[in-house]
Amino acid sequence: MSLSMARLEAETPEPGDVPVEKSAAIVGKSPTQIALGRLRKDKTAVVCIAVLVVVIALAVLAPVITSILDIHERREPGSLNAAEWTDQFGYPVTGPPYYGFDPNHPLGISPKEANDNLARLLYGVRNSLFIGAVVAFSALLIGTTIGLAAGFSRGWLDRILSFVIDLFLAFPFFFFAMALSPIIGNAFSQNDVGLAVASFIGLIIFLIIFSWMSLARLVRGQVISLREREFILAAEVIGVPMRRVLFKELLPNLVAPLVVWFSVAVPTAVALEVALTLLGLGVSGTPTLGLLVQEARGYWDTYPLYLWTPVGAVVVITLALNLLGDSVRDAFDPKTRR
Amino acid sequence: MRFKTPLVGITAGGLMLALAACGSTGGPAEDTKIDNEKAGAAGSGRDPDAKGPVEIKGAKEGGSINVISSTELQTMDPRNAYYASTIAIHGAFLSRTLTQYKYDEESDSMVLVPDLAKDLGTPNEDYTEWTFNLREGIKDENGDEVTASSIERTVEASMDVDTYGDFPGNYLIDFLVGGDQVKDGKAEPQGVDIDGVEATDDHTLVFKTTKPFADLPAYAYFPLFTPTPEGADPATYEDKIVSTGPYKVKEYVRSKKLVLERNPNWDAETDPARTAYPDEYVFDFMLDTNKVDARMLADKGSDQTTMTMDDINAENYPKFKSEAEDRIVTGSSPLTAYLAPDYTKVTDIQIRKAIGLAFPYQEFYRTAGYIEGLTANPANTIMPPGTPGYQTYDNPLGVEPGTTDPEAAKKLLEEAGAVGYELKFAWSKDDPDGIWPKLKDLYTDAFTKAGFKVTSVNVPDAKFSDFQRDPEADINVRSYHSMGWFSDWPSGGSWFPPLLTTVDWKSTGSYGSNRAKFSEPEVDKKVEEILAMPIEDQPKAWGELDQHVMETYYPWVVTYQGGSVQSHGSKIGGHKIDNTMGGPTYKQLHVLQ
Repeated sequence: MSLSMARLEAETPEPGDVPVEKSAAIVGKSPTQIALGRLRKDKTAVVCIAVLVVVIALAVLAPVITSILDIHERREPGSLNAAEWTDQFGYPVTGPPYYGFDPNHPLGISPKEANDNLARLLYGVRNSLFIGAVVAFSALLIGTTIGLAAGFSRGWLDRILSFVIDLFLAFPFFFFAMALSPIIGNAFSQNDVGLAVASFIGLIIFLIIFSWMSLARLVRGQVISLREREFILAAEVIGVPMRRVLFKELLPNLVAPLVVWFSVAVPTAVALEVALTLLGLGVSGTPTLGLLVQEARGYWDTYPLYLWTPVGAVVVITLALNLLGDSVRDAFDPKTRR
Repeated sequence: MRFKTPLVGITAGGLMLALAACGSTGGPAEDTKIDNEKAGAAGSGRDPDAKGPVEIKGAKEGGSINVISSTELQTMDPRNAYYASTIAIHGAFLSRTLTQYKYDEESDSMVLVPDLAKDLGTPNEDYTEWTFNLREGIKDENGDEVTASSIERTVEASMDVDTYGDFPGNYLIDFLVGGDQVKDGKAEPQGVDIDGVEATDDHTLVFKTTKPFADLPAYAYFPLFTPTPEGADPATYEDKIVSTGPYKVKEYVRSKKLVLERNPNWDAETDPARTAYPDEYVFDFMLDTNKVDARMLADKGSDQTTMTMDDINAENYPKFKSEAEDRIVTGSSPLTAYLAPDYTKVTDIQIRKAIGLAFPYQEFYRTAGYIEGLTANPANTIMPPGTPGYQTYDNPLGVEPGTTDPEAAKKLLEEAGAVGYELKFAWSKDDPDGIWPKLKDLYTDAFTKAGFKVTSVNVPDAKFSDFQRDPEADINVRSYHSMGWFSDWPSGGSWFPPLLTTVDWKSTGSYGSNRAKFSEPEVDKKVEEILAMPIEDQPKAWGELDQHVMETYYPWVVTYQGGSVQSHGSKIGGHKIDNTMGGPTYKQLHVLQ
């Protein structure tokens, strides 16, 4: 009942719209299936997905790729000795910027420390994507739960939850980051591994804490408008338990905004990590795209490749995810049929 | 003396830099290094009869010089000025002092000349009493005459360690009669009359010391030997100091900007040290270090009359070398950088030597951004080249200086039965230069490889120096990536007494500058003896003590000795390296017109 109602919602053409997908309604496609069908026809979306699949594959397979190519992350066994592989100014003695392409180190060696740039880039992408995905997914869970609860509860619970959302929105993000960084540092002052892990997890938690509010608001608004609809009222009248109303009646109607939000949240988290690390508030000891950009920013002129590879990776990842997000929104939004 | 950032290098005098031809095919300049063989005696020259005015052939008056830097001034208050870059600016522009260093073109070195004093002071027989006769008729920017008591006021105030925590007056407390009034922290020296410094009349200043202090004239160029007006508030005086030099402060915004304009009351006739060709100086502080290099490289528009007091970044040096070689100035520096194993904890010399053998010198230079052979020279002596009495001797570690040998280190540890010995040092995760996290990894790897157990203690940057200055801190090796000592004046007397004589840190809560907490009665006694020697015999004795201390005790792991590589715009003249300060020769600058 609810699903068909939802489909009716999604499928009801706006006045003046041409009902192009009449046949689909007859076969009984779900809104999601319709949206996926539209995505398949969207060239931008297909290209973006292809790019992302490659990037994700590279990230997931980073340890395999590096061992096949025999390149190594900083301080791994087999990594290069800076005293042998860089000159007195810190520039690599092989590969760019002063020497030709070195097949053993396809993206060259980093100045001063003689890290393999490709190995570091792969691990950087891996960690950044991990941060982005974890942050977006956790924020999705938190935001949806709180939004659902606030929107559906009416009364005091809604007021409290709304206040909490406003409170977090009003909280000065960067000041909090500046305060948090030394606190974590202090707590793990004598434990290196602990510090690396803690600062990595700390960053993730920090990003989660400050990214769920917009979604919670969005969900709450949607729920408030949906809960007055006839199918919800009907469900309540015939005694459907609240949990079922929430998860079977309301949630499926929120899939579109959730997917759209998620697809934008991942690149936002990736970009935020870069920004925080550039400000010195990010991770320590774990390569991320932010750290790679930060390390290389003095070399824009003298060793451009060193800087532009991580910057390029950030651009490619955020652009692909953002464009994909746009396409997903177009596909799910019944008002933007093309 | 202290210096602020790893990149602000300093220089020792008379070092001829032999820059070998650089690789012509693509690669960066190779074999660039300072030739220590030619190191002269930095600033050991003296000219008690020097007279003003100083003139530079061909230099013309006028124009404005802009000095840009990624660092800032430590303070404008002469009573607290102790960082080399700050003292240099005070000395050249604002604060006339009893003596001053002047650049000598012929020897490419600094020469000590009288400034407010008529000569370089008159000692008694055993150097425990110095009399300085001041020039008459010298006025500050307000037109008030400089008197002996106005200098006495600054000297006495500077001994107040609670107010002036950077403590340029540390030597006064050790040497002056009545210095011990301050030593236990009970006396409040602000306004208190210290017996050891006395204005006997308006133009005579007498210093009395408890032990021989032959180096006093060489120390008397510190800004704390300048006059300050009565009742200058320590909290605000630095915002508008009263100048006696050729310029006065037009505008000063801490950590940001300093604008200097001409001081009409300065008389070149009375000044044997300074020139004042430009009409104006504008200092911009705390700029991005790579932007400083980029502006110097581009040399566009007003940047042609711009210069920097920073060292060129290692990564930009090859570019300077190929595009602007004529605008690079190089010099070496009276700086020795070292790791300080805690002498009270790391008591076995074998272990200290093992640290020296395991230290990753080459990787350290690259990671910390030094140019080996130019801004960082591998070394094994306490006193750097250029210090009178400097002599080389074989590295007590039995390898060439700057050699890392983990196998040999391990062997020493095995002999000492100390394999797995725990090294505990502090680092800072939020180091603004981003260098510490990398160094921490580097040290951990290198020392672990040699058989040490490494524990690194993360201390937030804001608390880092306080933590290391705490003698009770739970670490056994003290190290900054820029940690070293920069001699206050060119003499062993600026090295051994403050750095390697016993300090009663248990009762005072401070090890002073003796970061290793080194204490050997035999060395203390030798230092006393040398200080009592005639001044001409001292250099050789310091040189021998240097070798004796390193070979017998190996208290420091010397990581490098310094050098300076700076650049200036194409329309700036007179920029050389001041070999006592490691900064530009500010007193000589002029705009080429």
